[in-house]
Amino acid sequence: MNKLKVLLLSMVLALVSIVATQAQNNNQQTIKIKTSAVCDMCKTTLEKAMAYEKGVKSSSLDVDSKMLTVTFDARKTDANKIKKAVTAVGYDADELPAQDRAYNKLDDCCKKGAHQ
Amino acid sequence: MKSHFRNYSFYLLPLLLFIVAAIPAAAQQLTGQVTDAANPGQPIIGASIAWKGTTHATTTNANGNFTLTFPDSLTSEIVVSYVGYVQQIINVAGKQSVIVTLQPNSNLKEVVVEGQQTRYSALTTTNSQIITTRDLEKSACCNLAESFETNASVEVSTTDAVSGAKQIQMLGLDGAYTLLTTDNVPALQGLATPFRLNYLSGTFIESIDIIKGMGSVLNGYESISGQVNVKLKDPEKAERLYVNLYGNSQAKFDANVNIGVQVNKQWSTALLLHTAQLHHRSDRNNDGFMDLPLNSQYNVYNKWKYSNGNWVSEFGVNALREDRLGGQMDFEKGSELYYGTTSETERISGYNKTSYTFDGKPYQSIGLISSASHHEFDSKYGRREYDGSQQNANLRLIFQSIIGHTGHTYKAGLSYTYDDVEEELAGAVFKRTEHVPGAFLEYIYNNLSNLTIVAGGRADFHNLYGTVFSPRLNVKFDATQNTIFRLAAGKGFRVANPIAENTASLVSSRNFVFTEQLQPEEAWNIGGSFTQYFELGGRPGAFITDYYYTTFRNQVVADMYSTPNQVRFYNLDGRSFASSFQAELQYEVLKGFDVKAAYKYYDVQATYNGDLRRKPMIPEHRFFVNLGFATPFDKWRADLTTQYFGIMPLAHAGTHHSAELAEKSDAFFVVNGQISRAFKRWELYSGVENLLNYRQPSPIVGASNPFGPDFDASMVWGPIAGRVIYAGLRFRIN
Repeated sequence: MNKLKVLLLSMVLALVSIVATQAQNNNQQTIKIKTSAVCDMCKTTLEKAMAYEKGVKSSSLDVDSKMLTVTFDARKTDANKIKKAVTAVGYDADELPAQDRAYNKLDDCCKKGAHQ
Repeated sequence: MKSHFRNYSFYLLPLLLFIVAAIPAAAQQLTGQVTDAANPGQPIIGASIAWKGTTHATTTNANGNFTLTFPDSLTSEIVVSYVGYVQQIINVAGKQSVIVTLQPNSNLKEVVVEGQQTRYSALTTTNSQIITTRDLEKSACCNLAESFETNASVEVSTTDAVSGAKQIQMLGLDGAYTLLTTDNVPALQGLATPFRLNYLSGTFIESIDIIKGMGSVLNGYESISGQVNVKLKDPEKAERLYVNLYGNSQAKFDANVNIGVQVNKQWSTALLLHTAQLHHRSDRNNDGFMDLPLNSQYNVYNKWKYSNGNWVSEFGVNALREDRLGGQMDFEKGSELYYGTTSETERISGYNKTSYTFDGKPYQSIGLISSASHHEFDSKYGRREYDGSQQNANLRLIFQSIIGHTGHTYKAGLSYTYDDVEEELAGAVFKRTEHVPGAFLEYIYNNLSNLTIVAGGRADFHNLYGTVFSPRLNVKFDATQNTIFRLAAGKGFRVANPIAENTASLVSSRNFVFTEQLQPEEAWNIGGSFTQYFELGGRPGAFITDYYYTTFRNQVVADMYSTPNQVRFYNLDGRSFASSFQAELQYEVLKGFDVKAAYKYYDVQATYNGDLRRKPMIPEHRFFVNLGFATPFDKWRADLTTQYFGIMPLAHAGTHHSAELAEKSDAFFVVNGQISRAFKRWELYSGVENLLNYRQPSPIVGASNPFGPDFDASMVWGPIAGRVIYAGLRFRIN
């Protein structure tokens, strides 16, 4: 009897956790943002900044296309907040321009046109 | 089989077409122009254009135009470079003319990639190491003395067991032989020496460059073993707000606040505030003396930066006040009953650096660097009073340009130094006023691929010691992209401040005896290094080994051997040398896990009263191992540093009748560790210094009778305070 209880409980727990994971997956969204990042150093800076943003699960910048792909938890943040965070690091995010002070602080090799 | 062939031909055809198309081009020349992105339309004169991977190169003429014949090799990429600009690699396949626009690289700094250990620079002509902000955060807060904890080249040692003074050592030589500069302006020299490492907060610092061996003549004639250049926070790039609070188990508290403001497009400023407080007396080794002196410091640094086109100007003002009190547990200021040391220091200094870059000639600039300082202190060591004041002013004018093209550049200039030093030790007054006008020239040859030679010389006209000539040479040869050889040789000259550089002996029964008129110190230093960068399993590493030999033509010898109750100062009569060998390996063993291991050998000897003997307090052998661990994006970081100190010779004061006074120290280990967790704006850190709780047994000889003849607190070779646990937090708004 006892064993059965334990088995049943563990099955319920397993089910709950599966549902929970699915719920999480449902809340997960991915956006692509066109940035002004130009080099591998920008990639490091930007991905690091994203890692410290609330709700961001993962991020990846494709240097050639300047596209930043961000996966986030929609319950904790939204696309606008993420774009704002990108501008706060010193890069354009789609239609939003980079914040001046942050841009000025970037290394010269990370500034727009440094690699044209 | 047939289908295979067809597949090949499918690829071959365009390739053939391409080769055919390329043939006519190869017979011709590539022409083009290089222009300046900062001044649209302005040509760049003297830029270098080379076929990638070859020495086949040319430079642009007065109109920025160039003509380059096609090489024999099959490269289609050209490398366009110019001093002060970002290098560009361009594919010119099929092109006969090209216009290249170069972006200025206003600060020629090396890109310090996040996640890397303290690195040996691959770019500088000198053997240089960079301690980045990230490295600085690994050591306990908050002054320069702690900043070298994770670095193998510079050691920090406590000079005595009472006053808390600390000194750096490089190549086996005292910190006095290392030129300390802040933003390349000589700083904290002369009478500031005893406590100078406390006068720069770690939170003021952006990064530290350590140059081993002879450096440039531009910064003066004084450096002998090397240069430590502290780059303070740049107002343009400083955080808007940065707060760092620190406390440790000895009840020492530090508070730091930095504020950065971009006032307008041209002006920016950074206000850096620091205070350190220790008001708790502790005596864990039960010798009746406080393990650490009480201390109260207030330190303010304000930097301004103006940049407008070709003009850049920087201003800085620093003011500090520090009180210290060390000695017996019941010692109070003014007490004659108990032994103690007190010191009150006030210091104010300022500097300005202004440079102008010529229009359309980014290689040509003129700069004026001026600085002034006032330093004053009153101190007491037991019954001995030691007071001093120093006024110092420095002026340098530097002109920089090229000869023909950027393969030949030079820097020439004039300098003037004023130094007014007055000391009073137990009633005896020592005074000197120096006026030193000088001129210097440095020529830099660069073959644009793998050889750089910097040859410099300066002539200084010292009002007290006549004309001094200081030649210096630095050579860097990149045998391959990852293998670098460096050579440094030259002469240094300095006027010693024997009391300020030997305050440790004030904390003993020794009398200071000057047997003759002391002459300036003069030394040759020659050395070289070999650096090999490598990649193993996809992760970077570096192996660096160097050897330096310093030989003194004159030295102010502080002789503690000859007469037990005296420290005798006299000019060197005989040999004095320091030879230093170091081998270091850095490697990222696993992703995020860095290892740095170093071994050092020192042989430092001087002639004491006719006998060539090893200098006291310098171990022959040292090991250093640093393990650094970081999770992705540095969210968690952990660091562990182990140092091994070999046996050191000692020179005890007193009558020596007690046989238990060892002639040598013990060998021992010191382990420091830290762990930190970063959030978006917050960072928490906690660590431990001297984890093994190793303490030098009875660091104070004759502690029971501090006014007696056997008292000596200067033979400190190991930690006094034992294990110290600390914690703190950082908060920043960028």
